[in-house]
Amino acid sequence: MSKLKKFKNTQMLIATLPLVALIALFFIFCGVIQTYGYRLDIYLQIVFNEAVVLAVVATGAIFIYTLGTFDISLGASTLFAATLGVTVYNKTESLALMILVLFATGIACSLFNSVLASVFNIPAFVTTVAMMSVLSAIASQIITTDGGALGGISIPSSVVEPYSGIGFKAMLLIIYIAVCFYVFQLTKTGRRMKFIGGNPLCASLTGIKANKYTIIAFTMAGIGVGLGAFLTLTYTPSVTTQTASSIGMNIFIAIVFGGMPISGGPRSKIYAALVGGFSYMLLNDILEIVIDSSAAYGITQVISALFFMAVVYITSMNYRTQALPR
Amino acid sequence: MKKRFAKLISLALVGVMSAGVLAGCGNSNDTASAAKDGVKIGVLVADVSGEEALGFRNYYEEYIQNNYDVTFEYTDALESAEDEKAAIEKFASKGYDAIISLSSSDRAQQIETCEEYGVYYAIASGVLDDEQYEQYKGYEHFVGQIGPSNETEFEAGKAMGEYYKEQGISTVAIYGAFIPNPMHVYRAAGIIAGLGDTYGGTDDMNGMIGQIFGDQAVDPSKIEGDVEVVAYLQGYGDTTTDELNAAIQKAPEAFLSVGMATTFFAQTLAQNDIQFADIDSFTEMNLDSMTNGTLTYLAGKYSSSIGPVFALVMNAVNGNVIRDNDGNAVSLSQGYLVATDVDSFNEYYVTDNGDTPIFDKESLDTIIGDAVTYDDVKALVESK
Repeated sequence: MSKLKKFKNTQMLIATLPLVALIALFFIFCGVIQTYGYRLDIYLQIVFNEAVVLAVVATGAIFIYTLGTFDISLGASTLFAATLGVTVYNKTESLALMILVLFATGIACSLFNSVLASVFNIPAFVTTVAMMSVLSAIASQIITTDGGALGGISIPSSVVEPYSGIGFKAMLLIIYIAVCFYVFQLTKTGRRMKFIGGNPLCASLTGIKANKYTIIAFTMAGIGVGLGAFLTLTYTPSVTTQTASSIGMNIFIAIVFGGMPISGGPRSKIYAALVGGFSYMLLNDILEIVIDSSAAYGITQVISALFFMAVVYITSMNYRTQALPR
Repeated sequence: MKKRFAKLISLALVGVMSAGVLAGCGNSNDTASAAKDGVKIGVLVADVSGEEALGFRNYYEEYIQNNYDVTFEYTDALESAEDEKAAIEKFASKGYDAIISLSSSDRAQQIETCEEYGVYYAIASGVLDDEQYEQYKGYEHFVGQIGPSNETEFEAGKAMGEYYKEQGISTVAIYGAFIPNPMHVYRAAGIIAGLGDTYGGTDDMNGMIGQIFGDQAVDPSKIEGDVEVVAYLQGYGDTTTDELNAAIQKAPEAFLSVGMATTFFAQTLAQNDIQFADIDSFTEMNLDSMTNGTLTYLAGKYSSSIGPVFALVMNAVNGNVIRDNDGNAVSLSQGYLVATDVDSFNEYYVTDNGDTPIFDKESLDTIIGDAVTYDDVKALVESK
């Protein structure tokens, strides 16, 4: 076998590892559930509900990461969108208006970041960290002022009950992933984003305007934020200051677990967040069940971190080579 | 190439072995509980390290579990309404009989989730506000709530403030813990009122708490009155440590805390010879602080104060769902006990410690059974 063929085979093997890991984790999860006497049907719903919001927001975030930049404020944007959505519903009692506000807020927050990053050339790290603080603070102010002694704001559960089923959520997830897949894989826009992420200078010299694609990427992420906020409300129709607080960091983990390099570029994969998000939640739940949390607080996080580093090491083998991506 | 492939295989093997070991090692308690036929109760907790939380946990896991055919399983620290709902669903998926809640991100959601899964539910710390109680009091699986009401929290803070005002204190620092946590908001407002001060021009409870919720903190510039609040801090972390040092520089005559001062600040306050007051529980650590003279006022719950809630849950699981005289879920308020010296502290601490809690098996047995009524439970709770 030629060296090139061996190289290609190894690359293919490594590329399939995230999916193999997801399948392996699923079977381990099922085994653990049976061993510890939990009901598989209920627990699968729990995992799905935990993972679906992360998968949706992280899939939108992939457009941003592909450009070689990132947005750490997506969790705060989700909280902010949900807060405004609930506030608007409580004032108007209109579900349609609430959904409109969720998406409009998500896109507006994201676009604001993109304008700061692309027009004013402020580093994304600075703008998104600042936005994370600002959005969290405004949302907290609204929640604590309106929520008062309840500690949170909410809409009646009957409003979102028709949309809380797994089937409906799965349908939304599939539609959103399909749209993202189309834009990312089958259009000029997606290919150019990968080009910009891989080599911005070359992309610029070939006449590609990075600003335009930055705005498109952040808009796609904003749609993910709006959808994530809606899915959050269908699970728990209340918003507290801690709602969606873990999403910002979990997006990193989901994308890496899915086998995509954080640096973006041509090796970016639109399905990485879906695969990684579900893998991460399965791993978390497996560890939560098998490890006695009272014995050592935080041990599940330590083991998750070790897995995370192992996954980064394995997947990075794919791009720690002298060869150009193919 | 071969070297990289070997590394890849070895890492994959390590991963598989780790997963196998993890799946095999397990939680012995879980395995035991699965095999046991007794009542299984899940406990929702937001605070896993505070003195009060540890005291409660010790009472359930060490005393109640050893005296009744029951298994308790605690959650990790729950941070949001989503965490709480997922935790309830996980307990339900393991066939748990009931949930006792010490976590309050979204109690309404907790009740609705328990109702959905047919799991009994009770609140052991704090209570629903009046509107929420009216909404959920008729739910089949909502057993009830026994704990300090918001008004009781305000009164506990107020009594603390009044105590120091009577002692002739003229300058204080206030620690607001985790404001806007409602319990801490009510206590902080009570302290200000007790000191004889006003907040934003009012000393009315509702007027004060509304402003504190809006400010998300106590704003010292809005406090006016005889006793000067020279410093205010809340939260915990590096910033709070700096703020504590800044507060100490202002030499307050007393440091008044709405909770967890012992856990966070007792050592620093003792080093600087500043007396402090706290709303916490009667634990060994607080006894040490009171013995060395630093802790001069403690409004506390005793660890076994969550005993009657357990009794309500046991009765419900065994088929006797106790209702009040109007046919609604039980709602009883518990007050705080106050200690201002070692003797009064010991009175509650010693009698509630270890194998001899205030709500011991003998007293709980009087409210666990098929014939127990609401009046029996009410009488016992009010007697302690």
